[in-house]
Amino acid sequence: MPIEVRNLTHTYMQGTISEVTAIFDINFRIDDGEFIGLIGATGSGKSTLIQHLNGLLKPSSGTVLVDGVDIWSKGVSLKKVRQKIGLVFQYPEQQVFEETVYDDIAFGPKNLGYSQKEVEGQVEEACELVGLDRELLSRSPFELSGGQVRRVAIAGILAIKPKVLILDEPTAGLDPRGRREILDNIKNLHETGISVILVSHNMDDVARLCERIMVLDKGKLVADGPAREVFSQGRFLESIDLKPPDVTVLMEKLRDRGWAVRNDVLTVEEACAEIVKELQRRGVAGAI
Amino acid sequence: MISGGAIIGQYYPVGSFVHSLDPRAKILISVIFMIVLFVGNNFYAFAVTGVFAVLAITLSKIPWKVLIRGLRPIVFIMSFTIILHLFLTPGQAIFEIGPLRATWAGLVQGMFIGVRLIILIMFTSLLTLTTSPIELTDGLEDILKPFSRMGVPAHEIAMMMTIALRFIPTLLEEADRIMKAQMARGADFESGNMVQRSKSLVPLLVPLFVSAFRRADDLAMAMEARCYRGGEGRTRMRELNLSTNDYFAFGLTIVMSALVVYTRVRFGPVIPRGAV
Repeated sequence: MPIEVRNLTHTYMQGTISEVTAIFDINFRIDDGEFIGLIGATGSGKSTLIQHLNGLLKPSSGTVLVDGVDIWSKGVSLKKVRQKIGLVFQYPEQQVFEETVYDDIAFGPKNLGYSQKEVEGQVEEACELVGLDRELLSRSPFELSGGQVRRVAIAGILAIKPKVLILDEPTAGLDPRGRREILDNIKNLHETGISVILVSHNMDDVARLCERIMVLDKGKLVADGPAREVFSQGRFLESIDLKPPDVTVLMEKLRDRGWAVRNDVLTVEEACAEIVKELQRRGVAGAI
Repeated sequence: MISGGAIIGQYYPVGSFVHSLDPRAKILISVIFMIVLFVGNNFYAFAVTGVFAVLAITLSKIPWKVLIRGLRPIVFIMSFTIILHLFLTPGQAIFEIGPLRATWAGLVQGMFIGVRLIILIMFTSLLTLTTSPIELTDGLEDILKPFSRMGVPAHEIAMMMTIALRFIPTLLEEADRIMKAQMARGADFESGNMVQRSKSLVPLLVPLFVSAFRRADDLAMAMEARCYRGGEGRTRMRELNLSTNDYFAFGLTIVMSALVVYTRVRFGPVIPRGAV
């Protein structure tokens, strides 16, 4: 399910006094099985961009190709596109409305015309994927905790069996435990073969999980490459109001003090290994 | 986008003569204008009210494009009214479809109502386009104040209006977002018959109400936290003062009203009584 975006531009309220161009001339291609982190400061156009990928917004100019087909050309069913490309909005718990958790998760597959039996199977599978307790299925979604409702909402998208999953700030407003659980779920989902696009403000999460990073600044795609490459440019990230991951900042500071450590580390483990190596080189490793 | 179209409640921030008028003057003139518009019962009256409206619009520096776009939501109700008048007014027939008879008198009557609606919407939308919600409610509160002795809760009404106006864009944005979230789950808001369409609104309305109630709770809490206790003894940062411009606008309004009353007396109704 490759997605290709060509010269994508979107202008809100075109032709009025409050006209704003949110994204400008964006080009990229996403292949099967990728795990992409989309980062950018508030208002950089991340949400606008992802809403184009499943046809919720129509480009002002440019094209979005899914499987090589322009999704806005005649005869293309947007419903089908949305089934293949699942989009979980920010604060997805605000979209639940059914009386029971089961019905809410089943809303998507029912809309797409699956049979009763298939719906049941897909709901169960989705619950499994996000680690949702079966007992909760008959409860009202409005009785659950924040983290639980969010998982219900994500399950609601997974139940339509998308090939690509886009998540807009899936951990915003959750406590550390809820956040870790959701991220683990996402990681597991990626391992089942789904492509994932993770929109986030949290650089540490993105650095830990994503293989490829796309950076938006004021509506333009200013960087797109392997996570190591992008995150090693700490100064650049800071210049566009982004905070590089903590470990990268640490490495940067050590280098400033003359330590010969790499600056493209992404996880705490890697950083430890790097520091130990440097200490050994300096001959002080015995001391620790 | 869901928020396209309706312009009621949208402030258009440019500097102009009309923008600078006192909100109380603008509210009162709008009310007078509406009454006068319904007092006028022939096309001569429209010439007067029309010129007044065009003058006001020109002075407001609001582009015609914006005002005409604002007419879009009422196209349906307008065509409906015109058609009703066309077929239900007795008189000489233009053509007949089955039992329905279109009449010349109906056509004139329909056109008359149509023009009246257009002038009405254009002029009254000018009020919200040229007055910020804050000014508007300040003005309203001031106008209602004399009635508070009769038990009219002037401050509370104004506060409710401020809050309502403040939350219109927020709720529209939220509705847009929830709609998209449900569309991402295959929901369809656009096709189907009336029953299916109204059913498809449930996934939109339930979350919207839930969040509106939550917002209301939060807002009440925030207001209490800042010791809000109603209007008594409350002072304003901006005091309202009538200026020469306001008196000038009132003067023009009085001239216009007098002219309309004159056309009514002089020319009579558009379809003379007894003509049908």
